[in-house]
Amino acid sequence: MVHASRRSSSGFSHWLRTGRLPPVRTADGIELKFNPWHDPTDGRFTFAGAGSTQGVGTRDSRQPRLRRGARGGSSKSTGGPPAGPDPRIYSKISPKAKAGNAKQSHPIGKFAGGAGEGLYDAVKETVTGTYSLLTTNPVTTIKDINSGVAAMIDGALAAEDTPAHVQVQRAASAVAHMSPHDLGHVVGSTVGDAASAVAPGAALSKVSRLRYLRTLRPHTVYESPKIKNMKENLGKEPAPWKDYNNGAEGAQPGFAPALMRTMPDGSMRPVKFDGIDGDYVIDRKWAVVNRPRARAQALRQSEVLAQHRLVGTWEVPDEIQKVKALKLFKDLKYAISR
Amino acid sequence: MNVDRESLVARQVAEIIIGYVDFLEIPDEDIVNPDNAMQMMEYLAAQLEGLEKGFLRQLVDAFYAIADESTGETREAVRNIPHGFYLEEALAADDPVRLAELEAIRDARD
Repeated sequence: MVHASRRSSSGFSHWLRTGRLPPVRTADGIELKFNPWHDPTDGRFTFAGAGSTQGVGTRDSRQPRLRRGARGGSSKSTGGPPAGPDPRIYSKISPKAKAGNAKQSHPIGKFAGGAGEGLYDAVKETVTGTYSLLTTNPVTTIKDINSGVAAMIDGALAAEDTPAHVQVQRAASAVAHMSPHDLGHVVGSTVGDAASAVAPGAALSKVSRLRYLRTLRPHTVYESPKIKNMKENLGKEPAPWKDYNNGAEGAQPGFAPALMRTMPDGSMRPVKFDGIDGDYVIDRKWAVVNRPRARAQALRQSEVLAQHRLVGTWEVPDEIQKVKALKLFKDLKYAISR
Repeated sequence: MNVDRESLVARQVAEIIIGYVDFLEIPDEDIVNPDNAMQMMEYLAAQLEGLEKGFLRQLVDAFYAIADESTGETREAVRNIPHGFYLEEALAADDPVRLAELEAIRDARD
């Protein structure tokens, strides 16, 4: 466990120093640069056994070569590129490759891609705080693997020598290069705690970047959101704060999208939001309050988001409320870490 | 309206707000829906921030005065209202020095 923790830190440190993801290496230390497996629908790399493959023997001169010492099919690959996939090679390498990849954890999986989730957006005077997902799996929470990733990311983003937007862009870029499997792994294991920790330190990012991240959500990994529309009656009198809340993406006046929270005794209770945008549920705050009820609400939202593996978004109307929201998140992070 | 009368009104309004907040913070979810309560609290916060600054000052002072007259949990709960609703910050909105001071106080406190 400690070893895994060190590898996590190492991967993240590498990214911080270089802005690049750590390379994949074999047990012999050989760096691998070629992956024949692709998802035919979007062309992304996949793990062996998923998507389609050109087969080891079909590599053409444009594809990168394995370095010296790499095993498996290298001699066949020099015999000239066949016209198409070779079924023999395909069926031969699949089972073994599957087993091998199952054991070899992808380095990006160790990278705390949660940094990319901890974004704050400022656009059209609407500031969006993204926070999310405290994983409910005790085995994989950051606290339990004792890697200190949350604190490390928080510290890294607070570093003064690199502008926050650069760091966030790097994080976004890192997430952009992850396969759905990788992203799903990270979202399911570490991003929650990391995002909670990152949120206060992360500064501004363009909304397009967040939207780009949204398109990368692993829809095939988890079930679709279990959103219920609950009736909501906060009085008939029209008011700016009601209009603001009703203006959230996916909002329906008179109804509040709600997620059902499973309580420790097994009972279910709704947690209401104001809108929903894909897998992102939105809570609009006309004014941010730092009262026990407000802190409890943030924690309830975190809990229910973790249970449904969704991402929550707070939207506030101006810079003043944004500062308050940041402060509240920061306070909550300390409360959680205690 | 003279100062004494203004203070008296501010105190009465403060007592109304204390009762309102006290109700919204009832922890039993079967009595008060916590999300609806938060919306009402956010509404209250915005309304308080929008008050005329002179009256808001009186109101904040009234909270402190009522807290001083109370004991135990009530004392803390009432004293925390200006803090929780960022009322001192609203009063100091045009004074960056005071805002910085308040931020430092808040950091030390939290």
